[in-house]
Amino acid sequence: MSAVLQPEATAGLTAADFAAHMARSADLPAWWLEAKKAAWNRYVATPLPKRNDERWRFSNVAAISLDGLKLAPTEATSAAALPSFPRAAELIFSNGELAGKTELPKPLRDKGVIFCSLRYALLQHGELLQKYFQRHSADLGSEKFAALNTALTTSGAFLYVPKGVEIPDAFAVQHSVAGENSSVFPHTIVVLEDQAKATLAEFFVSHDNAGRQFASGVNDLYAAAGAQLTYIGAQRWTPETLSFQSNSIVADRDARVLSLNLHLGGKQARHESHSRLKGPGAHSEMLALTIAENEQEFDQRTLQTHQAPHTSSNLLYKNVLLDKAKTIFSGLIIVEPDAQKTDAYQSNRNLMLSDEAEANSLPGLEIQANDVRCTHGATTARIDPEQEFYLLSRGIKPASAHQLLVFGFFEEVLTKLENEALHDALRSFIESKFA
Amino acid sequence: MATPETLETTAAVENPAVGIDQSAGNFTYDVKYDFDAGTGLSERVVDYISAVKKEAPWIREFRQKALKTFESMPLPTHWATKDLENINFDKIRYYLSQGTKPKRTWDEVPDDIKKTFERLGIPEQERKFLAGVEAQFDSEAAYSNIKEAVAKQGVIFVNSTEGLREHPELFRKWFGKVIPTSDNKFSALNSAVFSGGSFIYVPPGVKVSHPLQAYFRINAENFGQFERTLIICDEGSEVTYMEGCTAPKFSTSTLHSAVVELVALKGAKIQYITVQNWAPNVYNLVTKRGIAHEEAEIKWIDCNIGSRLTMKYPGVVLKGRKARGEVISIALANDGQHQDTGAKMIHAADETTSTIVSKSISVGQGRATYRGIVHIPKHLKGCKNNTECDALLINTNSRTDTYPAITVRGDTHAVQHEASVSKVSEEQIFYMQQRGLTEGQAMSLSVNGFINDLARQFPMEYSVELKRLIDLEMEGSVG
Amino acid sequence: MQSLEIKDLRVVLTDAPEKEIVKGLSLAVKTGEVHAIMGPNGTGKSTLAKVIAGHPDYTVTSGDVLIDGKSILEMETDERARSGVFLAFQYPSEIPGVSIANFLRAALQARLGEGEELDATAYYKKLYSKMDLLKIDRKFTSRSVNEGFSGGEKKRCEILQLAMLEPSFALMDETDSGLDIDALRIVAEGVNTLRGPKLGVLMITHYQRLLNYIVPDFVHVMYDGRIVKSGDKNLAIELEAKGYDWVKTELAKS
Repeated sequence: MSAVLQPEATAGLTAADFAAHMARSADLPAWWLEAKKAAWNRYVATPLPKRNDERWRFSNVAAISLDGLKLAPTEATSAAALPSFPRAAELIFSNGELAGKTELPKPLRDKGVIFCSLRYALLQHGELLQKYFQRHSADLGSEKFAALNTALTTSGAFLYVPKGVEIPDAFAVQHSVAGENSSVFPHTIVVLEDQAKATLAEFFVSHDNAGRQFASGVNDLYAAAGAQLTYIGAQRWTPETLSFQSNSIVADRDARVLSLNLHLGGKQARHESHSRLKGPGAHSEMLALTIAENEQEFDQRTLQTHQAPHTSSNLLYKNVLLDKAKTIFSGLIIVEPDAQKTDAYQSNRNLMLSDEAEANSLPGLEIQANDVRCTHGATTARIDPEQEFYLLSRGIKPASAHQLLVFGFFEEVLTKLENEALHDALRSFIESKFA
Repeated sequence: MATPETLETTAAVENPAVGIDQSAGNFTYDVKYDFDAGTGLSERVVDYISAVKKEAPWIREFRQKALKTFESMPLPTHWATKDLENINFDKIRYYLSQGTKPKRTWDEVPDDIKKTFERLGIPEQERKFLAGVEAQFDSEAAYSNIKEAVAKQGVIFVNSTEGLREHPELFRKWFGKVIPTSDNKFSALNSAVFSGGSFIYVPPGVKVSHPLQAYFRINAENFGQFERTLIICDEGSEVTYMEGCTAPKFSTSTLHSAVVELVALKGAKIQYITVQNWAPNVYNLVTKRGIAHEEAEIKWIDCNIGSRLTMKYPGVVLKGRKARGEVISIALANDGQHQDTGAKMIHAADETTSTIVSKSISVGQGRATYRGIVHIPKHLKGCKNNTECDALLINTNSRTDTYPAITVRGDTHAVQHEASVSKVSEEQIFYMQQRGLTEGQAMSLSVNGFINDLARQFPMEYSVELKRLIDLEMEGSVG
Repeated sequence: MQSLEIKDLRVVLTDAPEKEIVKGLSLAVKTGEVHAIMGPNGTGKSTLAKVIAGHPDYTVTSGDVLIDGKSILEMETDERARSGVFLAFQYPSEIPGVSIANFLRAALQARLGEGEELDATAYYKKLYSKMDLLKIDRKFTSRSVNEGFSGGEKKRCEILQLAMLEPSFALMDETDSGLDIDALRIVAEGVNTLRGPKLGVLMITHYQRLLNYIVPDFVHVMYDGRIVKSGDKNLAIELEAKGYDWVKTELAKS
């Protein structure tokens, strides 16, 4: 067993924190504990992002500080309410601990569906989990924080849907944090076997307005042949929170994955999402909506890797910017040499509502096969003055006219959700930011 | 030192001067150099160049400082290709010439140099349609002349060595102001060892009716050419400048690292046309940028066909209200070539407009990369940018990349970027074959169609040759 | 009874203040009345409608627009609308992602006082009945405002909004343009149903055709930024018979 490294900056999460965390994890499988130790050492050995790192271009890396962070207190706190929509089952985590859940309906259990906390999965389905845990990672720059997630994660959901099982209602997961400088490390794993179909909606919220908090989340999403996976991640941390989220999406032959991420909270929130299209016919729909206000910085990095022929992907990231907010969208489509007949699209649209907001857009392509259709586009513009005049001419006040136009701008993305109840739940989640 | 004539092909060439046809430039004649700074780079080499040119002390200091900057800067491989690491700066010859004073008539040009330019058709071109010509052979201009009528309007068109010597007040005011020494490692290198290039000044209101042309020829092996061009268009004036370049193909690598600075004062218009057709052993690492003052317009028309690696991102700093900037570029990357090109549009005043149109063609294992920066900082109003990048991939193993970076602050701007990647349509090829064309002919037609709207922006002489070259490059790319 | 008064109004383009478009125009419309403004293209008819609604492209240099004696020129566009002015656009904007139902709801909500909530049941009841009246498919409520609508659908959607928002004054800018005869009839029927003592209508049109379906009480001829002739519906008929050149010659004579 290797030694545990001590990070240089001792002000934040320390080796002692890690030791305390490990002491509480003693009943978990050995492979897991080993993986955690290795991850902790990777975390310590990896420097914080540097200004000249291309993967962090335009990010305010100087502002990233882990000083003062602590593990979230483990005493149970009552969780914030989840938005309402019909759900197959739910898991509620508060400060990294399971705080509530609804049982998985028996017919689903009988079919072999698993929906449980990460901890329970480690104890009961260790081998299955090991097979999928971080088999792929986003690898878009936040490796240090992803390592920290593996080292310190306590919360997260494991959803496993066996071959051919289709579940119309969504699975709901909520992570809430309470307390200043509290740190959480959610890690959700979704595995859909051949021809399975399921939706998981995950909400990240701050339980109190306790100032700065820290979150480093990781998701592993797998869709096997012909599976249809819908993943929703909706985030509204406190306005002072530092957050990192790295999602890995793998779609096998003829699988379809739709991921929609909603970014509302945080002072500096970075989201990485990497889709790997592994089998012919695979499709990934990557969607994101962001409302950036005050001095918030939202930093989104994406990668669409086409590894097999006849794969397709479609990315649409829309940002609304107010005040002195800043957004960064950096996306790349990679078409590997054998991935002929790829059809890939990538689009970033920024709607500017302030003279001091800043939108950065880096839409990239790396194409190594010729028989492909790849396009990308980026636009940054204000509200169309004629549209605005039309709304005002109907007596709608400027603030609500803007709100209507923002929702109108977002609707193109929200409308891609088949599940209407979920669509409405997300709308009201967004409205909470305007309230 | 000089290589004996090696002539590989004798393809019929209508207009070799524009440097389109690679085979046309692939020859060398034996030339005797009077001045040679030797191999490798050092303070001594920099002093040697400065001494040959009998430069003022401030220039020598400028060069020495630049050398230190060059040495202190790393290669930009954190974003650029690692192929840069294959440049051996110690094996390059930084200065070769027969003297620093260009001749005003072709009769005076020494025979060994003159026959190169005659073969490239330069004197003939000059008679036909140019307002002035400068012909650079390795480090210095061998010939430089401007038509009398143009000179009478007060237009200055000399090489940079003469410009520095005879118009120091004008030269110094703008020299290194558009592109500072430390802009990048290669602009620093150029600042240390620059030689040749054009200095142009167009007085207020003067519109130069015909293009001024410079022709850059590399003759020697293991050589580095570092011309430095500065064009100043005074208020309301207009000029079109064209440059062509060729070099013979050597087995060792050749370096071409120019710095080009343009200044368009209020209401002035500069059009800068480049056709780069270096041999496939040339590293072509060029920094080009212009400053456009109020209501001025700078347009870069850039065609990159040859070289092993080209890194070139012509830029415009839109410094005055309503200034306009435009980059139009065509790149063709064949086997073993990497065309890493693009554009930079730095908006620095209200209501400034910029346009970028880039088309690239990757053939065989060629790689075409577009890199762009569009920057609209805070407190500006009403700026616009429109960028379009289209890439055409010919073979299954061809490669293209697109890396734009767009920053917009504020809610009064309109910025749009679009890029697409496609291949030649099979139906289109089939259609043309059904009409009796060979697959190769059909492919050439298709590719020409792809760049047609851009090719039309080149002067007639260039666009005809461009089409011909595409045909040449496309030969053997199918099947 | 309410009144909309336009007094010696002069208007220039905001971006080109040297260009005057409305050159001293006066007109008074009372609720219960239907006025038609006719005139050749480019005489400032559409500008007049937009200026009353407060379009930023135009600047009033002198004169006034008053509702019940109170100037509305200092008001923002939305305030003017809530004071009772409705503009039926010649070219209605497409607003992607905003459904007609949500849009009209927001417009009605804006007319309620602080803390008041719109009664959703009553709202939908009213919306559906007005849609039936205008022969608009109920499915349209979930479609984005004007997005992908045909010319006729856009104009019917304008009349639907007019019916829902119940303004005191409707400014109808070339409502007949781009309509075939069936669509024109539906739109006219809609307007006629809404006609009554509580609504004043100012119809702007190039063609007399519309006036066969919506019979005006007053007809005004606008030329070069001014009203040059006023009369009853017979003026429209005369105009149709003689053409606009007749107005020009008349003017030249005087």
